[in-house]
Amino acid sequence: MSDTAVIHEQAAVPQPAQHGRPGGMLRHTSIITGTVAGLVLAVITYAIGSHYFVPWGEQNADFSQVGLDALVAATYVAWVIGFMAGIGAFAGPIRWALGHDLTHADAEYMAGRGQGKWRYWKYTTDHKVVGFQYLIMAMVLLGLGGFLAMLIRTELGVTWAEVFDPNFYNSLIGTHGIVMVIAMIIVVAGPLGNFIVPIMIGARDMAFPRLNALSFWLLFAAVPPLVSNLLLGGMRDGWTVYQPLGNQAPVGMIGYQVCIIVFAFSTGIASVNLITTIVTMRARGMTWNRVPIFAFGILGSSIMGLVWFPMFQYSQILALSDKVIASSFYIPQMGGSVWLYENLFWLLGHPEVYVIVIPATAALLELMTVFLRKPLFSYKIAVAGIAGVVGISSVVWVHHMYMTGWAPAAGYPFMLSTELISIPFGFLVLVMLGTIWRGKVWTRLPMMCVYAVIWCKIIGGITGVYLSDVPVDQYMHGSMFVVAHFHFMLMGAGLFAAMGAIAYWFPKMTGRILNERIGSIGFWTAFFGFQLTFGSMFIAGLQGMPRRVLQFDNAFNISNWASTIGAYIIGIGMLVFLYAVIHSWRNGQPSGSNPWGSKSLEWQTETPVPLENFPVLPVVTSDPYDYGVPDPYDEIERELTDEGAESTVGAR
Amino acid sequence: MSAVTRSASAPEPLSPTTGEPVSTPARRNRLGIWLCIVSDATGTVALLVAYSYLWSLNVNSAWAPPKDAWADALPFWLIVLGIVVAAVVMWWGVRGIEAGHRDRLIVASVVASVIVVAAFVGQIVQLATFPFGPSDGAYASATYWLALATAFHLFLLLFLVTAILNRTRRGLITVANPYHARLVAMWVTWICVAAFLGALFATTMTVSPNLDSPSFGTFQE
Repeated sequence: MSDTAVIHEQAAVPQPAQHGRPGGMLRHTSIITGTVAGLVLAVITYAIGSHYFVPWGEQNADFSQVGLDALVAATYVAWVIGFMAGIGAFAGPIRWALGHDLTHADAEYMAGRGQGKWRYWKYTTDHKVVGFQYLIMAMVLLGLGGFLAMLIRTELGVTWAEVFDPNFYNSLIGTHGIVMVIAMIIVVAGPLGNFIVPIMIGARDMAFPRLNALSFWLLFAAVPPLVSNLLLGGMRDGWTVYQPLGNQAPVGMIGYQVCIIVFAFSTGIASVNLITTIVTMRARGMTWNRVPIFAFGILGSSIMGLVWFPMFQYSQILALSDKVIASSFYIPQMGGSVWLYENLFWLLGHPEVYVIVIPATAALLELMTVFLRKPLFSYKIAVAGIAGVVGISSVVWVHHMYMTGWAPAAGYPFMLSTELISIPFGFLVLVMLGTIWRGKVWTRLPMMCVYAVIWCKIIGGITGVYLSDVPVDQYMHGSMFVVAHFHFMLMGAGLFAAMGAIAYWFPKMTGRILNERIGSIGFWTAFFGFQLTFGSMFIAGLQGMPRRVLQFDNAFNISNWASTIGAYIIGIGMLVFLYAVIHSWRNGQPSGSNPWGSKSLEWQTETPVPLENFPVLPVVTSDPYDYGVPDPYDEIERELTDEGAESTVGAR
Repeated sequence: MSAVTRSASAPEPLSPTTGEPVSTPARRNRLGIWLCIVSDATGTVALLVAYSYLWSLNVNSAWAPPKDAWADALPFWLIVLGIVVAAVVMWWGVRGIEAGHRDRLIVASVVASVIVVAAFVGQIVQLATFPFGPSDGAYASATYWLALATAFHLFLLLFLVTAILNRTRRGLITVANPYHARLVAMWVTWICVAAFLGALFATTMTVSPNLDSPSFGTFQE
């Protein structure tokens, strides 16, 4: 343990020269300075650009304003750069280049020491703060996406009238889709990957604390361009924005493209950080077969994000280029190909499902052991399942393109690979079932989420196998059946798992227990509404109702009414759950440091978690799920106690 | 040079922020830079896929630029040559600082900075003097983006090598703590590979092999 002692003797470590007060420029920056700087730079860019570079009055062949695309793109980019500069993101690289290295006092200031709640609104590097920031951002995005879903369902439920303009309705669909995809990507890996994983593996922080802050604030900067698309003509082509529709879309499309480009940077940086943290910063004694399964889930998700997000990013960079400088990657009459876009898009588009589902599933595997008080059933199979999904996810993307006409001969190999991925994914479900088998269940809210997710995974998984078959897909593609399927996977298996995971780790993050009664009411209400919404949607799809339509035949009325009622019930349930979170956060029952009696490391440190996580870095001496297995130290202690008793008796 | 060897001769310095021996964060940084390279490589592959895909399809016979005005090959290879030299020089400097010759890294980073500036300017000149615009067909678009990617890489590289120069000059990169220079050298090496692949595609895959391409329509009807 000598290393640990050295780490805490900071006074003994020679420090570089302190330039000014600790924190330097970051003492003066926050979300306010970032927003002001972003807006100012955006306005200046727009003003200069519109004055000098846009020939107002001149129109393109499609009657759009010449130069407007470039102007809007430049304005969005200026917002992002201005915001990042204003919040202090460039201070670190500049200090490094100038040779003004951080002192320990600088690092502590940047981690938020002594700044109270204001640290949540600054470029703070502490992984726990970043975890909270991600949590709030995920809740905001889920709220926004959910609200848009309510509007969509209102339109589809009011079968006797048209509520929205068709173009606006299409924009609602597209914006809802991408907002929810982003929210689901971050909802587990963001808050829990950042807050929990470093503590869970026995580290003091993430490997690269400043990159951690950078990844969050890039995400923050990416959201306004996306949301603003609704005011600029919208994105009317679904969240996939196939070409050349995207190229022919109003300027609002540029908000989507800029958002994805920046979000991909954010995800790449976060992936680098999480992988490096898990690989290099595990506590002494935490060998690979002692790593908690949740950390494996985050690792697998990060690997997929690292490798495949750049494909998504470049699909949008090239689309933006086509729109702004009239290049021809996707414009057929100029030598481009729409299939190129679809390939680049789906190379991430499908692994992204597992980027969402794998950490969520791993979180449930993690908490199940606690509420069943038994080891994870076949830990190695679970790890193999995650590895298998990560590997095979890279060769399944074409099943999204069966009906596009691209390489028909490739359909069958990709049908095989898609069906193959259900095997490692099935491993994870079997590990869940095996762990529950003959266990004594401590039925709390997180465990209820486990049951819900198993149900949703079975429904979503089986319907996914149907859709992976080329002949079935020829009938089902583009129908409400597909919409119901992917909602069962992304929302049923992803969001409900996230709710369970948040309920489980809530005491560690906030020091309070999530109100079980209110939380359960919210959860089960949402679950019931979910079954009604998407069960009805399966029926509509099987009847032949296409997706992304505003008007439809009366034959689909009943299923749409049911779906809309279900959607409102989901909304009510989620609001109740949100109330439980906020109420418990402020007034909940204090939890202590380990209310569940868990064996993993994050529960062994005190709550609230101190800045450096552990007073002394832990040494791991046992597997993470040794519930029911005698603790060797208990044995030693008992023997010592027995010996002591014997010697006492002997002395008598 | 291993950390063990160094620690035998002199005590290893400690990181001022975490208090760990500097070789510990250096290990993390090394993995981090490898992962950054993987991520950047995937992006580069996306561009190369776009290039080769459109080259092989020749959609609507619109791959070639107007009047078959292909880009001159020489500037591509001159820029690659410059980056390769910068990489070799940086590694020479890194080996030097590891052997205790601080001046070698200073000289190397000065030379590398000059070369990178020249390569960056050359890249901008090439972009400005292509015999086509980015909207002159698929080849023109793809070639523009390969050149833009190299320009972006060079811009980032310029920041990194000048930072290494400044840090070495200020005594922050030393024989006991040469890790940042090594990381930058690793990154330069990757940039060599990326620029080489871009140049290879842009100069050898010009005329499409698909001379009888079907019409895919314009999607404008």
